[in-house]
Amino acid sequence: MLDVFTLFLFNIIVYNIPLLYGTTGEIMIEKSGSLNLGVEGTMAIGAVVGYLAGAKTNSLFVACIVSFIAAGLVGLLFSFLTVTLQANQNVTGLTITTFGVAFYYFIGNALSNSKGGWPMFSGAEESATKAFYEQSQALHIPVLSDIPFFGKALFSHGILVYVAILIAILMSVYFKKTVPGLKLRAIGENPAAADSLGVNVTLYKYLHIIIGSGIMGIGGLYMGLNMGGTFEGSNCWINGYGWISIALVIFANWSPAKAILGTFIFGFFNTLRVQNAALAYAFPNALGWLTKIPSHFFSALPFIITLIVLIASSLSKKKKSGEPQAIGRNYYREDR
Amino acid sequence: MSKFHLVRRADARIWRTLLFCFIGIVISLTIGAVILWVLGIKPWEYYGKMFTIGLIGNKYGYKSIEGLLKIFVPLLITSLALSLSFKMRFWNIGGEGEFLIGAIAASIIAFHSTGTPNFVTVLLMCLAAMISSGIIGVAVAALKVKFNTNETLMTLMINYIMLYVIRYIGETKADWNFFLREDSKRAKFGTFPDSAVMGGIHFGKFNLLWSVIIAIALTVIIYIYLKYTKHGYEISVVGDSSATAKYAGMSVGKIVLRTMFISSALIGLAAALTVSAAGTISDTITNGVGWTGIIVAWLGKLNVPAVFVISILISILQYGCQAAATQYPAIDINFADLLQGIILFSVLVADFAANFKIARKEEAKNA
Repeated sequence: MLDVFTLFLFNIIVYNIPLLYGTTGEIMIEKSGSLNLGVEGTMAIGAVVGYLAGAKTNSLFVACIVSFIAAGLVGLLFSFLTVTLQANQNVTGLTITTFGVAFYYFIGNALSNSKGGWPMFSGAEESATKAFYEQSQALHIPVLSDIPFFGKALFSHGILVYVAILIAILMSVYFKKTVPGLKLRAIGENPAAADSLGVNVTLYKYLHIIIGSGIMGIGGLYMGLNMGGTFEGSNCWINGYGWISIALVIFANWSPAKAILGTFIFGFFNTLRVQNAALAYAFPNALGWLTKIPSHFFSALPFIITLIVLIASSLSKKKKSGEPQAIGRNYYREDR
Repeated sequence: MSKFHLVRRADARIWRTLLFCFIGIVISLTIGAVILWVLGIKPWEYYGKMFTIGLIGNKYGYKSIEGLLKIFVPLLITSLALSLSFKMRFWNIGGEGEFLIGAIAASIIAFHSTGTPNFVTVLLMCLAAMISSGIIGVAVAALKVKFNTNETLMTLMINYIMLYVIRYIGETKADWNFFLREDSKRAKFGTFPDSAVMGGIHFGKFNLLWSVIIAIALTVIIYIYLKYTKHGYEISVVGDSSATAKYAGMSVGKIVLRTMFISSALIGLAAALTVSAAGTISDTITNGVGWTGIIVAWLGKLNVPAVFVISILISILQYGCQAAATQYPAIDINFADLLQGIILFSVLVADFAANFKIARKEEAKNA
């Protein structure tokens, strides 16, 4: 009986950590005053490039670095177009998504149809990706992993799960306690004012858009590894998680610390969608009604909640919103 | 400090923009050619197949044109509709969601239309779709005007909510669900009765659907609306500066609400025409026009004739990739999306190059 709950909690974390990567990455970008709607595409590119590099070199570390760089290059493209060339952020971001997802399918199909085929991801003895596979598996942390119930649910995960949470905590400290973090937030609120105080707006925007995109890329890689690294022609690894991340940024009120909480809340519904049958079977009386709710409702729930949060937060004038004031608007010095 | 910096050109010339964009497109196609070449495909042969959309040496060439037009009509109307709202700097990126709402509304009429005359049914479908999509558009606009809620994110959420709504309808077998086939065990969308399927004018074997004629007529009407009416003028003033519009005595809120109603209603109309031409509905009925329409509207710089031309080109790109995919299994339709992305990126660069120049510091002072 307890197993059902352990598994439930375990799954919330395992399957929804990509949301945390996507969300923290997007928060970093939005804090610099840019709205990047290309999360889905950036994650897709980071995922496919990182995975292939990891499979080639048989190393998770290389895979992470490469997916960070690949996604960072997408961020560089976004910042070049929107910061230097003053292109519209919505259009550029959406095109990055179209481009990135198409890139994923294109590379995947081309490789699957080639002689070598798509590289497999397996921990079997003769496998060429054995080390890569093993490095991504759950770590056993002495003492913590052995705690009954919570040990399995919270402390038996792959390294990338802890990295995601570490990134969120570090980012929270960075925004609140450091000078560059403060300057970044100033740019997001009022770039002209920050500029007049001597902050290099262009440099800050470039740097944070690239780092934010890179973080998303690692999230994409994690997602791919979670899917067993197999390429399917019809389903993208990212599967809409990039869009949910954009929603989660709003839900978390642009705070990386709240993003951790938000990930688990959205993850809860996500897991409920997958596991409602198991729960209803374990507790037919108490939770039997779960199977009556269509899975589509749980899928749509993150977007419904975000829509409500979005409207509710604009209705209430008192509550301080974390939304950067200058979001979505390009900054052109000569127009000041 | 650097010696050079960027200055906005005082003289925007149409030929310069066109020239730079042309160079941008040539560069994108070259990048595409390199990708094809790497995959061991002769680029000119592939491009040849793609741009002739499989017409040459094909006995059933008229089918290709019909297929192309089926992609073209929804894309054109959606792009024009999005241009309307983008002109006011209202970021309606909810094309997908509004399209799905329209498609569902039109299908409800269609499935209940047995026996009604064809013309009446299609008209009712269009009206139902326009009203229901329009209402969503107005609701978003009202929140934006009244409470300054972020419209980009609101419309984005609506896209995904509607996607799951249509999937729910398509995958749930139930007594109330008249959308599905009754004779099939598996959940599957049914086909419309004949009364709801759009007809057309026959030229020999070729069937020119009414929706094509409607789309072209709409293009002309929207062109006139934007260029020669008071409403059109108001939209452009609000887009330039809503403060200017306010001090000129215009009611900005009213203009935004009205334009958003028209914009979303047009997307609903596109949906009604699409489901009626297809004779059925599905969860992929949008074919991504809500997203592609944004790219088309932007590539056309929100200018009606330009949007018309770009819609044709993008439809050829998409349909051509489908047509060529039958002969090149390694290259699927995603190549069209890939190329589309590269084209937009290079046109954004080209657009910048046409409107800005690099000047020395002293020059800039005099400029």
